[in-house]
Amino acid sequence: MIRTLLDNNMNWASARVRADPDFFRRLAAQQAPEYLWIGCSDSRVPANEIVGLDPGELFVHRNIANLAPPRDMNFLAVLQFSIEVLKVRHIIVCGHYGCGGVRAALDTERRGLIDHWLQPVTDLAHRHQGHLDAIADFDTRVNVACEHNVRAQVEYLGHNPFVTDAWRRGQRLEIHGWIYSIRDGLLRDLGLTIERSKDADRLAARAWFPDG
Amino acid sequence: MPKAIEFTPIEPIPLDLLREPLIWFFAEHYRHRDVCTRLTELARSVIFDEAALREIYRFLDRDLPLHVIDEEDDLFPLLRRRCEPDDQIELVLGMLSAEHAADMSEGAAVKSLVGAALAEQRGLACYAEAGAAIDAFCQKQKRHIAVENAVVLPIARHRLGEDDLISLGQRLAARRGLANPFQAAS
Repeated sequence: MIRTLLDNNMNWASARVRADPDFFRRLAAQQAPEYLWIGCSDSRVPANEIVGLDPGELFVHRNIANLAPPRDMNFLAVLQFSIEVLKVRHIIVCGHYGCGGVRAALDTERRGLIDHWLQPVTDLAHRHQGHLDAIADFDTRVNVACEHNVRAQVEYLGHNPFVTDAWRRGQRLEIHGWIYSIRDGLLRDLGLTIERSKDADRLAARAWFPDG
Repeated sequence: MPKAIEFTPIEPIPLDLLREPLIWFFAEHYRHRDVCTRLTELARSVIFDEAALREIYRFLDRDLPLHVIDEEDDLFPLLRRRCEPDDQIELVLGMLSAEHAADMSEGAAVKSLVGAALAEQRGLACYAEAGAAIDAFCQKQKRHIAVENAVVLPIARHRLGEDDLISLGQRLAARRGLANPFQAAS
């Protein structure tokens, strides 16, 4: 029932104030998150909750399959604002195993508009089709593609003008690639962290599979 | 009248092994083999051995799915990221992942048999389908474990670094609701 959500909200706000009477006063005065989270819209991956951060601590952009699309005005506005105004120190691209968007990009079923949104993932899968096809189990193939999709977004961000301009200005900014498993609630660091243009180039040159 | 086999609990894994996650996997595989041996014996008995059946049920319900996550969402992806071309790891991981998917469905069928035996207070041999289903499940499990012990874990020992092993051990613990095994030492 929709009413339950409003009741839950009342209980949540009241519990917050009981635990910390100044919480909302502080929050209303300023937003100063250190992190930009680029995650999937999947309802089972609640950004703040899984990293144990309070409201105000994480600037969040979510879309299907956690993409950082170079021509998406929504995403670009979030990226620019977070870097130039909020001056976040970390950008986290977080995918998740079993992602429905990645799964849809890998199969041949047509779904309409979403196929266009997922085109970058489909293209990525085509680029690595030989390797992905060698993975016999489809669910595993999806999971490997989920990791690759995170890496592709980290690489893209490492070459995005807002990011490279920030680095050129000497602004400290790290980009991380993580993956989450809905089955255990745990994050894995994919070891993709970059903090300067050279790192981005190095990452782009790294092999995607053990044999290339 | 036939007697129930004397009940001894399935040996728990010493929690110290969370600090040596690859040994943890070996130990977990040892437990799986033990469970298969027990299950095979129970499948041949008409005696209702509640304690033994409950342990097996718990294993199939909790431990086996957790172990599949340990491997599918943790160890195998790590290996895919760390292995060299000469390891030809995908050949074996691909096969094992497909078997994991089958484990979950066949394990669920065996679990429902054990669940029925518990509910109806009967030995597993009272169910016509139990012998074949359990034998097939256990044989596959043993073969699967043999490949993991002989191929996957030795490669993991070679390819995973200290940081990998620490994070792996931490996640094994977290997945089971246990404290960080490296906290005291760090």
